[in-house]
Amino acid sequence: MQAKFKEYSNKNRYSVMLFGLMILLLMFFSVTKGETLWSLGTWNGIFIQFPEYGIMTLGVMFCFIIGNIDMSFVALGDFACIMAVRYMAGHVTEDMATGQVVGVILIALLIAIAIGVIGGIINGVLVAYLNIPPVMATIAMQLVWLGLSTALTKGYAVTGVPALYTEIGHTMLFGFLPVPLLIFLIIFLFSLFLLKFTTYGKRLYMTGTNLKAAKFSAINTKAMIISTFILCDVIACIGCMIMVSTMNSAKADYGTSYVMRVILILVLAGVLPDGGMGKIFNVLLSIVAIQIIASGVNMFSQLNSYYASLIWGGLLIIVLILSTKMNGTGIKLFKLKKQKM
Amino acid sequence: MSEYLLEMTEICKSFAGVPALEHVNFKVRSGKVMCLAGENGCGKSTLVKIISGVYSKDEGEVVFEGKPIAKITPAEATKLGIQVIYQDLSIFPNLTVMENLAINSEITAGKKLVNRRQWEATAKEALSKIGYHIDLHAKMGELSVADKQLVAICRALLFDAKLIIMDEPTTALTKKEVDALFKTVCQLRDSGIAIMFISHKTEEIFEISDDVCIMRNGKNVYAGPTSELTPKDFTYYMTGRELTDDHFVAKNISKEPVLKVEHLSLKNKFEDVSFELRKGEILGITGLLGSGRTELALSLFGLERPKKGTITLNGKQVKITSPIMAQKLKIGYVPEDRLTEGLCLQQSIADNITLSSLKRLSNSFGLLKHQDIIDDASIWKEKFSIATNDVNKFASTLSGGNQQKIVLSKWLSNDLDVLILNGPTVGVDVGAKQDIHALVHQLANDGLAVIIISDDLSEVVINCSRVVVMKEGKIVGEMTGDKISEDNILEIIR
Repeated sequence: MQAKFKEYSNKNRYSVMLFGLMILLLMFFSVTKGETLWSLGTWNGIFIQFPEYGIMTLGVMFCFIIGNIDMSFVALGDFACIMAVRYMAGHVTEDMATGQVVGVILIALLIAIAIGVIGGIINGVLVAYLNIPPVMATIAMQLVWLGLSTALTKGYAVTGVPALYTEIGHTMLFGFLPVPLLIFLIIFLFSLFLLKFTTYGKRLYMTGTNLKAAKFSAINTKAMIISTFILCDVIACIGCMIMVSTMNSAKADYGTSYVMRVILILVLAGVLPDGGMGKIFNVLLSIVAIQIIASGVNMFSQLNSYYASLIWGGLLIIVLILSTKMNGTGIKLFKLKKQKM
Repeated sequence: MSEYLLEMTEICKSFAGVPALEHVNFKVRSGKVMCLAGENGCGKSTLVKIISGVYSKDEGEVVFEGKPIAKITPAEATKLGIQVIYQDLSIFPNLTVMENLAINSEITAGKKLVNRRQWEATAKEALSKIGYHIDLHAKMGELSVADKQLVAICRALLFDAKLIIMDEPTTALTKKEVDALFKTVCQLRDSGIAIMFISHKTEEIFEISDDVCIMRNGKNVYAGPTSELTPKDFTYYMTGRELTDDHFVAKNISKEPVLKVEHLSLKNKFEDVSFELRKGEILGITGLLGSGRTELALSLFGLERPKKGTITLNGKQVKITSPIMAQKLKIGYVPEDRLTEGLCLQQSIADNITLSSLKRLSNSFGLLKHQDIIDDASIWKEKFSIATNDVNKFASTLSGGNQQKIVLSKWLSNDLDVLILNGPTVGVDVGAKQDIHALVHQLANDGLAVIIISDDLSEVVINCSRVVVMKEGKIVGEMTGDKISEDNILEIIR
């Protein structure tokens, strides 16, 4: 029994670590804020809040696995949402039948997704064909999208989201399953399927491990890179559209703090932007752990929102240091061995 | 003080449980040239790295100038007077000769400011030690390999070197340059410096060395004066077998060529290259580094785009624009640099083997079964006797020879007409080398057309039924059958 656990934990260090972290967090918040933590409201909040950035995390995960990074996804998503909300505001009138409103909403969603595809293609071409380092390319694109949105809206929030759309975002299916969570689960299962059971997933991991070797093995690495950016940005746009339903509007700078939070989640889950690493289940665990922290911190009224950046930034640094140590030769917590040549 | 400058006794070293060196013994005398000989992957480089302090030994004793040395760092080795001139020469290509010569001693002296006059003086002093003249302000990267080597030697001399180790210095040199290098080596030897010369070329070793230490599979099989050896003994010690009759003889060569290359040119790389390749034959393409041999191979695999000339496959003219297309045209390529181009080290052996045949292993929806991958990989593991008990282990857990078998399996599991092998046994141990050669012979006799690109002449001679020699981007010679010999090839290259 003990030996089996040892073998399991050797193979799945990140999973074990994340479970440990979650238990520690829950214990900490139970002791300090036990009553608030274990109330129904808190857990409702947790499951309503994390799908937004949880969905984005799943998208960016693809970029990380192939060894790239995307910094532009939130800005792009905001731009897509602004366009979608503008369309909805312009086409929905008071006296429309529900069916017609649904039609408008669907077209708006398609607009958002199309913009996601375009953004992904631009990122992919910059990285795969023009060989610009992904961090640089996507930070530049982040500014471009942010600039476009700001210019279009003069920095104001775009309102006029149909009531029906907002309602959908707040509906509990069967009385307990929030729609955003359902969408998250669908995208999670889709990603899981893609990574685990398809040639695409296999090629993704292999290309992320060694791009050159993948190219020499007759894999279309450029197409692979572009496809991951498209996946990433489309999924990010879906995440942002969920944000629209909670905020009841779209704005150029909604959710900008999610960029760093998503990176934090992925690194914590062992999906490093070096590529080729990480398991999707760990990403799920990591998302929940981070949401527990977010909700937990909210329970301390002294820590107002002015401290948020400080907390997330500090956490990211700690996690980055730990994950580098885990992969390097410093502390041998992880089984990656340096090649001796 | 003993008559030996460096004595190594019972040195052992292993990596992750795989022994690289087992009980190695040898001695180096001041004012003599000692050759360390052995085939690729026999542990020569590991031994050098132990002497220079890059690796630490597991067991054994190192005695330098009569004093035992327990553990040294590269910096301490430099202080003791041990200098290594590596194959890659460790120079700064974007700096000038002067800067390259002076930079180390200036940094060691703890100087923070650059005094050009001082640097120039240091550089001139260094060059004068072997009476070598070169423009001090030439960019290092623009020099020939031979010049780079001499600059590296001068730099070593600046540190009052007592022992200079040269790691395969003649690999990329012409005959004339080799002669010049040997003259310098003799000069150094006569001034009382011990030289350790690493090579696997028989004639060079007999020409230059006083003592020789021959290694095979991490053990030294001979250590003593060169004069007591005959070239035949030497080869036997090197390879562990009498090299006689395992030459490849093509049995079923097809009438029509499967691949025809006509007047192919790639700017600055190769020019007007034409040759034919038939099923059942093994064509060797050899030449020095930079002769365009690798670029030629990459052109056939869609990674370089030649501007002029035509490639004809099975009678149809084709333009190969990507490896994906090459794969469709049934061309496979085993790259030169296994670690960066051939393998995903941190992924499993099975995933590596099946990487280019995922399409075959999946159903029409692109769905994969993990078990299919394992089964397919296991077939190759058996066929090639890849030394692992579990194909789920990372490719990085294997030795060079076994890793090369993975890269080969990856392509052989495709249906191929033409297989291009670039340096198929670089860094591969003798046993695996024989396995690989035997398999390639069998594949050719089963009707595959094989191209071997290699600068290991003995490999070319043993395996090829026809050899094309390239020099400075052009084909300068071709030979078949009995005409193929190392001497004949060298004649053309030089």
